[in-house]
Amino acid sequence: MLVFAASDKGGTGRSVTSANLAYQRALAGDDVCYVDFDFGSPTAAAVFDVPGELGIDEGGLHTYLEAGTGEPARVDIWAHTLHPVLRNRPNGSGRLVLLPGDASGGEFATDQDTLRRCVDLLLRLNSEFDVIIVDLSAGRSYAMDMVLEATAQPELRSVEARWLVFHRWTRQHVLAASGLVFGEHGILNGAAAGLHDKDTLRQSIRFVRAAVPDPESALWSQVSPAQSVWMQRCDDYLRQLASDRKIGDSVVLGTVPLEPVLQWREQLITEEDVLSTQIANKETLEALEELARKLTDDAHWGQP
Amino acid sequence: MGTLGRTRPTTLACGEVRTCLLPTSQALDLRAAGHVLRLRADERVLASERPNLYALSPDTLMGVDCALPASNGAKVRAVGTVVARAALTEGRVLQAGSFFRVPDTGPDQRQPWGHYLVRPGVVEPLGKLPAQAVAEGLLKGGRPGELDPGLIAEGLLTRLLRHPLLDQKSPFKSRRTRLRWVALPVPDGHGPSIDFTVAEDDLRTVRLGIPEGTDQTAVVRLCEDLALHDWLLTTLVRMLDGSRFGSADGPMAVLALRPAVDHLMHLWMPRARVDRKLSALWEALEERPGFSRQWHTLVQRIRDQMALQAIPLLREALTAR
Repeated sequence: MLVFAASDKGGTGRSVTSANLAYQRALAGDDVCYVDFDFGSPTAAAVFDVPGELGIDEGGLHTYLEAGTGEPARVDIWAHTLHPVLRNRPNGSGRLVLLPGDASGGEFATDQDTLRRCVDLLLRLNSEFDVIIVDLSAGRSYAMDMVLEATAQPELRSVEARWLVFHRWTRQHVLAASGLVFGEHGILNGAAAGLHDKDTLRQSIRFVRAAVPDPESALWSQVSPAQSVWMQRCDDYLRQLASDRKIGDSVVLGTVPLEPVLQWREQLITEEDVLSTQIANKETLEALEELARKLTDDAHWGQP
Repeated sequence: MGTLGRTRPTTLACGEVRTCLLPTSQALDLRAAGHVLRLRADERVLASERPNLYALSPDTLMGVDCALPASNGAKVRAVGTVVARAALTEGRVLQAGSFFRVPDTGPDQRQPWGHYLVRPGVVEPLGKLPAQAVAEGLLKGGRPGELDPGLIAEGLLTRLLRHPLLDQKSPFKSRRTRLRWVALPVPDGHGPSIDFTVAEDDLRTVRLGIPEGTDQTAVVRLCEDLALHDWLLTTLVRMLDGSRFGSADGPMAVLALRPAVDHLMHLWMPRARVDRKLSALWEALEERPGFSRQWHTLVQRIRDQMALQAIPLLREALTAR
């Protein structure tokens, strides 16, 4: 299954959340591959804590797509991570492999040859992995156009593809996320027009609300009554706005709470972080686990 | 074999085979296999039904003019043609391979293409060939820009995998394997020798010592046969590795192993197409590490588990009467 992680704006936690999803799926026993198509700023290596924080020097995805190498480099995360917890690969877990971007990447225009190579790569990964998470640059990028065109090719039509659109829980982000999908130049009307069946594609898109402060959470239990009422009102307003903009609860796959560990450390959240060092909130880990479960559960996809 | 090669003029043969599951929900019949493997319009796909379903593409040639990898850093430019071909076994396992021969000396000057085109599958060094160093270099893999048979095999495999007859719905996930091989001649009176190594996760290397006069096609077939069975074994081992036999989710594990029964277990047939002169090499591998021994143990284990899981079903059926 291909999973494309998109967002309209930067700073939505797209990369860190989708990396956590990859990790959770691997813990559940799936063979998972994380493809860093965020050409402007390849950061996945940092999230998984493997060497090459800003992308690798040569042979990454960028080089591959531009025909500079026959096969893009791969990093076995369990084997190469510097993260002390991840190094002990749990029994029964699946593979977790990163296809890193190049350090000197940057966006590039897509031609037929690049498209061909993109299709070949996705085909190959699909034959090998249960879940392939493709992290796309923010906004309507070349990377997004390329994968939309690639998934419309006959070879890839029968391969299950799902989209996750990440946004923060603010007015601007809700509007932007809705625009990215439903806007005039959005995924459905612009990028995929003429390539994909609009309804089918729409049914394969779900939204993930990231960094959402939950007014009910213990985190905010100490705030003043006035603040509490205000927070509740804001939350209600955003819910209404999201619903008006066609990204209401029925198309939301999950919500990830505001979590300092995700915001500041931008790394994987492990059970250790919750149970032993207790730096991360239990709710966050549970939200990620639930999101990972729903990602591959057909009941949460299709006609909302 | 390592020291013997140096004492006499050597001709090196080498290649790489990449093996993967054909990405289709159903195994292809011979006719469909013929379409997929039709790499050239002017030549037919070789198909055979005995002792198993097997289709072999015609040879295609690729012109090369580049350096050969050498373990001692020697710069050896070579020009000629590399053969690439593909095979499909039981409509299920796809292999793409490339190979070539290198004579121990070649012309000092680069010749016009006509000279090389009449020698298909031969890559000639400019001057003398440091056979041992190049053999080692090939097994280790060269630097970018050096002749890499793996890249040629990969190119062919990628091209085949796009074929419209393939529905891209593999019955299970599996990985590719790469098998790199080199063959050097052994002195008169010596029998053939083999050294098989699992070099990395997906990479195997094979060093062969081959008596003079052995048909090169036979060597290539042997390597394809080795690659096929190594892939089968690797794939079955990985399937069993992930499953939780004997645990509470035993029934689930059995369900997960069903593709092995449906698609893999009947494919084991070592030496089906190996020249008799070289079958001693297979015997050596059967002795150590014991390919078939491991395969049959795994297969037996799967069958036993299937039988065990069926017992409660049987009891249910009997009590329901």
